[in-house]
Amino acid sequence: MTTFINEPLLELRRAPVRETLADALATLDAELPWRVPTIVGGERRDRPTFTSTDPGVPIRAVAEVTGATPADVDAAVAAAAQAAPAWERQGAHARAAILSRAAGELRRRRSTLAALAVRECAKPWAEADADVCEAIDFLEYYAQQAIALEGANGLVQLPGERNSLRYAARGVVAVIGPWNFPFAIPCGMAAAGLATGNGVVLKPAEQSPACALAVVEALYAAGVPPKALSFLPGEGDVGAALVAHPGVHTIAFTGSGAVGLEILRKSTELAPGQKHLKRVVAEMGGKNCVIVDSDADLDDAVPALVYSAFGFAGQKCSAASRALVHERIADALLERVHGAVEALLVDQAERFGVDVPPVIEAAAQARVNAYLKIARDEGGTVFQPGSAPEAGHFVAPSVVHGLPRGSRVAEEEIFGPLLAVQSVASIDEACEIVGAQPFALTGGLFSRNPATVERVSRALPVGNLYVNRHITGAMVARQPFGGNRLSGTGTKAGGPDYLLHFVEPRVVTEDTMRHGLVV
Amino acid sequence: MRTLAAPASAAVPARPEREARVRELGREIAAGQAAAGRSRTRVLEDRGMELLSRDPALKAALFRLVDVAPACAGPRELAAHLAALLGEVERPLAPGGASPGRFARTVVPLARRVSIRPATRRAVGGVAGVAVHRMAKRFIVGAGPAEAVPALRALWDGGAAASVDLLGEATVTAAEADRYAQRCDEALRTLAEAARAWPSRPRLEADSHGPIPRVNLSVKVTALTARVRADAPELGIRDAADRLRGLLRTARDIGAHLHVDMESMDSRDLITELVIDLLHEPEFKDGPSAGIVLQAYLRDADEQLDQLLGGYVSAARSTPLTIRLVKGAYWEHETVEAHQNGWTPPVFEAKVESDRNFERLTRRLLGARELVRPAIASHNVRSIAHALAYAPDTRDVELQVLRGLGDDLQQALAGMDLRVRTYCPVGDLVAGMSYLVRRLLENTSNDSFLLSRSRGQELDTLLAAP
Repeated sequence: MTTFINEPLLELRRAPVRETLADALATLDAELPWRVPTIVGGERRDRPTFTSTDPGVPIRAVAEVTGATPADVDAAVAAAAQAAPAWERQGAHARAAILSRAAGELRRRRSTLAALAVRECAKPWAEADADVCEAIDFLEYYAQQAIALEGANGLVQLPGERNSLRYAARGVVAVIGPWNFPFAIPCGMAAAGLATGNGVVLKPAEQSPACALAVVEALYAAGVPPKALSFLPGEGDVGAALVAHPGVHTIAFTGSGAVGLEILRKSTELAPGQKHLKRVVAEMGGKNCVIVDSDADLDDAVPALVYSAFGFAGQKCSAASRALVHERIADALLERVHGAVEALLVDQAERFGVDVPPVIEAAAQARVNAYLKIARDEGGTVFQPGSAPEAGHFVAPSVVHGLPRGSRVAEEEIFGPLLAVQSVASIDEACEIVGAQPFALTGGLFSRNPATVERVSRALPVGNLYVNRHITGAMVARQPFGGNRLSGTGTKAGGPDYLLHFVEPRVVTEDTMRHGLVV
Repeated sequence: MRTLAAPASAAVPARPEREARVRELGREIAAGQAAAGRSRTRVLEDRGMELLSRDPALKAALFRLVDVAPACAGPRELAAHLAALLGEVERPLAPGGASPGRFARTVVPLARRVSIRPATRRAVGGVAGVAVHRMAKRFIVGAGPAEAVPALRALWDGGAAASVDLLGEATVTAAEADRYAQRCDEALRTLAEAARAWPSRPRLEADSHGPIPRVNLSVKVTALTARVRADAPELGIRDAADRLRGLLRTARDIGAHLHVDMESMDSRDLITELVIDLLHEPEFKDGPSAGIVLQAYLRDADEQLDQLLGGYVSAARSTPLTIRLVKGAYWEHETVEAHQNGWTPPVFEAKVESDRNFERLTRRLLGARELVRPAIASHNVRSIAHALAYAPDTRDVELQVLRGLGDDLQQALAGMDLRVRTYCPVGDLVAGMSYLVRRLLENTSNDSFLLSRSRGQELDTLLAAP
């Protein structure tokens, strides 16, 4: 099998590379707003019902979008169910070739797509480019994995019988994607479904339909049969209808914990005519902690912590939102973190070097501000230097310490540029705090003692622990990503066992004895 | 005051008939090194380094111990780290990581047990702490500029000038950037005051361009701003400009040389543009003496040099630009980062290519001597001999070595009446640790010239053209 290699990131430290991107953005701006249709089984309907906007300049329309209707949901599921068997019969190699071709389509449009994420999601360039690269990685990686899965048969064979294990597609996959990785996550979930021979119905986040459309267009252009893939932009009601649909077999979801739990609950209700159990692959929230031991190198820990907490305005599932710092170095660390936050650049995503872009929408801005109010009301010390641009959904980055035990600010997911810092008497105390949380997505540890690293990595329940580095930016095939507890169903996107959630194993045992002879 | 002109001639071409002269000079330098006195402890330390270089797992463990030592609260904590690190030597975790050598298989388990046992833990930690201190003192000349003066004076008396580098924590805040600038300013003034009393040393104080300042400070731009962003050099330029401008003014007013160090690729454009920009400012037209660094391991070092020469010509200054030519100290960082991101490494992957580029760039610098004062910074005797053999006038070539690593080389070169400058880190142990680890790694890296020498490789092989 070929060794997987991640798509190379753009080398933004080279001036000519930056110029290419600036040009791509100018070209894109001339095209905006895009038209984003609803696409059911290849049929497009383009009668816009809502608009996606630039979080940095909310009056700028990025896309005029046609929202899907309940009838579209029914039609899309029916088309996917109808097309899936033939798609599966093409075989893993043929499907993989198509996915790899789709990766090529994305690769060809990399600059444009990065520019689109800058506009539609206010992702800074480096993050926007990494998002496109990760989408490409998912396509290529799952293509390879699907081929490996088709060829796998690890059963014990004895004379006189032939045992075979085959992984069949489950049928129809409903993909419900988030806006924070507007290419990578919907693309990854859809690619997993398609690679294994399922039909897919994709419902993108209402904030990022244009980015998701680019993924769908790439898949169609590469040769995914039109009926095997439908695209249903819309609000939560479209997702809810999809989840409740009796024709859906697998639900792949990334988003908030509340919605995730609702999906899990709904998925167990048997609709009239439904003849199967639904499976849910859910990637939900987190309250990701970074533990800093007294022997940590603060020269490394401070920038890594600040980047983990404030990069992309803290809007990654993996972002740091709580630091647990050994009391011996807590004051020194806090002082340096404050100074590092002062040095952050809060500005529009399109500006190179920006650290903190606007958050996705007004509601997110209000949510973060509400948590800041809670922090103040609870007697915490809020450090929020600098100001943010007037227009756009900006929230200046803030660091909070001195919160009371059990503070909501320290325990709930905020999903914005707010870091709670707390000192602990020992690393064991830090581990207990993390262990008592309901979330277990990512975590971080700064320590230079291998024994501490070993102890903490055994103690923490998190799905992804990062040691002596920033805690975001998981790479496909290198850092399979996903959380435990209330952070998710324990599945690992970009990992070797992810595709198993999209298939059902079938074993065939054949008696090969005829008339007392093994034939 | 005159204004410098563009280089009249291109690079001095490579000339095969000069090879004999290169080797002759190389042998002379090597003989001088052999004659340079080394203290008993130094001999033992070098022997220890050589042993370490044969055992990558143990080397990794001990370097990590050196790295963490300053953050440990006391001997017990240090011993705990030692035990855990030695545990990794016995049982390497990462596939493809360093594997245990003979020494690691025999002595290490014993050392680890001793570090764990409560009765001996304190003592072991204490010994380790002392060893780390001792190692650091070899490379660091003093805790502050005033404390460094006696060592700098001793160098001067021994025929070597110095460039002082203030070690410190990384700069992540504006306050830290201000503090570093303040320390640099004080260092310039302290050193200028002290150096005034030094005896005259014509060899070190002038070349054919004219006088050379006694005081020479190397500064790091990444310590002058908390806004280093690889994808936005303009942010760092804007933020560091005021602080660096202040240092240039002080250097000009007291007659010192200010040298701007080069670091990793992520700050290369920032540093280059910042220095060229500031030297264009009218107030610096006639001073101070200033310098920058060219890294020969960079594949695009030639374009970098074009940019420097072009930028400097248009600044129309009256003093030449000192360009310190180095191989480059961030090779592993650049290579690892590039591979993790899927980039072509900006550096040559084989050392011989860097060596070859170093010689070519040396000849380019020599060819631009109307505009440039070349400073050849290498411990590779071949590279030094090559520069000397091609120099129209060896007075116009400065040779730079590192304190603690190039001490015998410094003696040999001073003994040949050449102009030597020793790069001297100043600072406390905590702040200096990352520097120290880098130097130790360099000393024990497999293709280090120093190590090859200490292993007794044939001198003629080492002096062969790369």
